[in-house]
Amino acid sequence: MKYFARKLGMLLFTLLISMSINFFLPRLMPGDPAKALMDRMEGVDAEKLESVRAAFGLDTQDSLPVQYGKYLLNTVKGDFGISLSRFPMPVSTVLASALPWTIGLMGLCTIFGFTIGTLLGIWAAWRRQTKLASFTVGFFTFIRSFPYFWLGLFLIYIFAFKLRAFPLGGAFSIDQARGSARWWLSVLRYGALPAFTITLSSIGSWLLMMRNNMINVLAEEYITLAIAKGLPMNRIKRIYAARNAILPSVTGFAMSFGFIVGGGLITEMVFAYPGMGYMLYQAVNAKDYPLMQAIFLIIAASVLIANFIADIAIMILDPRVRDGAK
Amino acid sequence: MAEKTLLHIDHLKAGYATKAGFVRAVDDVSFSLRRGEFLGIAGESGCGKSTLAYAIMRLLRDNAAIESGRIVFDGTDIAGLDERAMNGYRWTKMAMVFQSAMNALNPVLSIEEQLVDAVLAHRDVSKKEARGTAAEMLELVDINADRLSSFPHQLSGGMRQRIMIAMALLLRPDLLIMDEPTTALDVVVQRSILQKIQELRTKLGFSVIFITHDLSLLVEISDSLAIMYAGKICEYGPSRELYAAPEHPYTKGLMSSFPTLTGPITRMGGIEGQAPGLINPPPGCRFTPRCSSAIPLCSKREPALVPTSAGRLCACRLCGGML
Amino acid sequence: MIKDFLRTLVQNRKSLTGLILLGTLIFVALAAPLLAPYPPKSDRIERTVLVEETMGDPEVISEEYPDKDVEKSVYSVTATKTWEKTVTYFPLRSRPAKEHLLGTNHAGNDLFSQLIMGTRISVFVGLATGLFVTLVSLTLALLAGYLGGVLDDIINFFTNVFLVIPGLPLMIVIGTYIPMHGVLPIILILAFTSWPYPTRVLRSQVLTLKNRDFIRASTMMGERTFFVIFREILPNMISIVMSEFFTVSLSAILAEATLEFIGVGNITVVSWGTILYWAQANGAILMGAWWWFLPPGLLIALTGTAFVLVNFGIDEISNPRLRKR
Repeated sequence: MKYFARKLGMLLFTLLISMSINFFLPRLMPGDPAKALMDRMEGVDAEKLESVRAAFGLDTQDSLPVQYGKYLLNTVKGDFGISLSRFPMPVSTVLASALPWTIGLMGLCTIFGFTIGTLLGIWAAWRRQTKLASFTVGFFTFIRSFPYFWLGLFLIYIFAFKLRAFPLGGAFSIDQARGSARWWLSVLRYGALPAFTITLSSIGSWLLMMRNNMINVLAEEYITLAIAKGLPMNRIKRIYAARNAILPSVTGFAMSFGFIVGGGLITEMVFAYPGMGYMLYQAVNAKDYPLMQAIFLIIAASVLIANFIADIAIMILDPRVRDGAK
Repeated sequence: MAEKTLLHIDHLKAGYATKAGFVRAVDDVSFSLRRGEFLGIAGESGCGKSTLAYAIMRLLRDNAAIESGRIVFDGTDIAGLDERAMNGYRWTKMAMVFQSAMNALNPVLSIEEQLVDAVLAHRDVSKKEARGTAAEMLELVDINADRLSSFPHQLSGGMRQRIMIAMALLLRPDLLIMDEPTTALDVVVQRSILQKIQELRTKLGFSVIFITHDLSLLVEISDSLAIMYAGKICEYGPSRELYAAPEHPYTKGLMSSFPTLTGPITRMGGIEGQAPGLINPPPGCRFTPRCSSAIPLCSKREPALVPTSAGRLCACRLCGGML
Repeated sequence: MIKDFLRTLVQNRKSLTGLILLGTLIFVALAAPLLAPYPPKSDRIERTVLVEETMGDPEVISEEYPDKDVEKSVYSVTATKTWEKTVTYFPLRSRPAKEHLLGTNHAGNDLFSQLIMGTRISVFVGLATGLFVTLVSLTLALLAGYLGGVLDDIINFFTNVFLVIPGLPLMIVIGTYIPMHGVLPIILILAFTSWPYPTRVLRSQVLTLKNRDFIRASTMMGERTFFVIFREILPNMISIVMSEFFTVSLSAILAEATLEFIGVGNITVVSWGTILYWAQANGAILMGAWWWFLPPGLLIALTGTAFVLVNFGIDEISNPRLRKR
């Protein structure tokens, strides 16, 4: 229980820090923050200036702590202000249209990548003498060195441009009626390349981590005892080796996930996939600060919650953690 | 009880392949073990005794392997058996107790799961029956059956070691190999464990190969003793006689290395120097550099392991091994 | 101990390959101005040649006779120089050719030269960030791990907090607020988002070492804290510190390229990332201009692979189980 409470506390505090970063960042710039931001854009529209002020809680009459408090309250309510580039649409509406795409894409890719990567890692460690295993490890190591976005560009070039097998960008076909069966098929088709990019890049980290863990676990004495007991190889592989090897992977999930989310954002940008990533790209270029900051917050919150789930998973899988022995 | 030979090791050679060469940790070892006999194998670290244990259990893997020789268990040479055939022997005929129970128990499984899967792997019984067998065994080592739901990290060192012993005896094997099972425990717990092993032996009648670097432990409880040095057996015989009158200079040195509880206080002996490396061992007797009775011939000709009296073997010129 | 470590590093095949690769890249970065055929931002070649030089006839301006034997004359001569200036503008968005090995971009800049000069920025930013972050996190790790107490609690706490905040979105958000002059802001932003992970890794190593008997013995002998840290703990941390250095440098290079690609970084600077930015902005893929976007990506991957190989080598040295039999 103490473990759970501690992890929950960390989650909430880190969320608070993220929100605070959002709050203080514009104020770190000299002068009237809103004006300074607007100066970077072309055309200072009085209405827009007000909305920026309101979004950042810069209603100048209040003192800083009051501004902070109001800002936190608004954020928790989901009020992120008005989007500058899509004026006068509120930021939350803009987010709501992009969020499902990202969750769908990233969610599926993370599950795929983790599963395939972990299974491959187990196999690569179990059969590490074989050439195929060495080659697989080398291949994914090499792939990991490529920046996500470049991998996406490359795949677009080969599969979309040269081979014309997949579309160049977007998430769905505009020719089909939204919600129809054909439309859903097009969603699959449009999502194939971006999903492939993200999955391919992320498999590498899971694979390498699991492989290293397995190799370390296989050298442990309880594996020798399991062999001595004459247990079936399958049970040794699954229950004795993998069950233990996966623990550091779940712990490492925390670190990797943030990185993979970053990669997913970039991939969306490259493929003009209308999720949070592409929205962020547009917001950055249009200097739409309220939208940009809201996206940052949502992404940070998602990663934090995913980590929290991973922490709970560890608690379930590792009896030592349950008892606070670790 | 028939004085039948349970295990016969015949010119066994085993070791590890390394970049620098093959480390022959077990270099031409031969001995026999009767049913119900307690054999102690003593020697310093690195003399090859653990490798010998793993070789007999056919647990050598990765770069470790049996090079040549026979391991005749109950009439069958198991040295070359494939894994399928070995399965018939694993845990049902021969079992092992490891040095560190903390490392040998799977940290994420409960005690019950680890005991039960050993039973289920070899016997066609229900889980409930297997659980019953496990509980029975735990009772024999004085552990309450409600400990079945515990995890390894929740138990004390002594308890874990007793669980290891219970686990090893689950399927009533004929041979129990124990690789330094009490080294990590304090003396009081050590004693209780050794007593428990004696008790169980009387009850169940299995043979024991007990490996240790602590000679004092073995003298009381073992029937026979084998002293290993640098991959070879240098002396062998009934433990009482060996203890009373050691013949090999190494054994003599070992005996003088620990003080006696009774009798006058004498100056402690001890053996200077270090054991030789086992990749390209020097010719002749391997103990020569550290031996006070060595002569020039000792570093040229290796003495054979020869009988010196009823049931005793010794590999030294002093025992007539050079003739 | 450092010498032993370096020697083993060179002997290991994987890390040797990585080091050679890295050495080549650093060489290219240093010798870039000499290796690049054209200045990266130039879009033309200007050649000025003297065509003709004519001397006119001397013209008398004045004549004076101050004395019967003295004549003083002033002459003027005009000389005309004719120059011929040939400006060869580089073709825009051209394919690879003899003059431009990788073609040119939208502004007519030679892409091959840009690629070579870009090596400087990319490699420099990567290594500089790596160095900076390694020093900072090592200091924090030693303070937290060795000195312990409240300091450890504070540092550890903040490390954990910032560790889980996703790096890329944070970098983007900060990057859009800060004016980008030169590459220093990028290095700082990268450092700000990469310090937690190495700090955590190094701190846990310090803690492990601190509890080893030889450190305890040292402290009990009365050795001063500084001595213990520099003579006992640090030499035993070499491999992990180096491993972290290469890991951070790798992620810095990738992150820098990514930031530039999005347009958050300084797009006037010539780096592999900015080349890709302009490639994307000009629809290089749609043009099928593989020579524009393929090489920078390959070079980033190559640099990344170099770092990973060196790290593999370091891993195998410190954990013999991972070595090939």
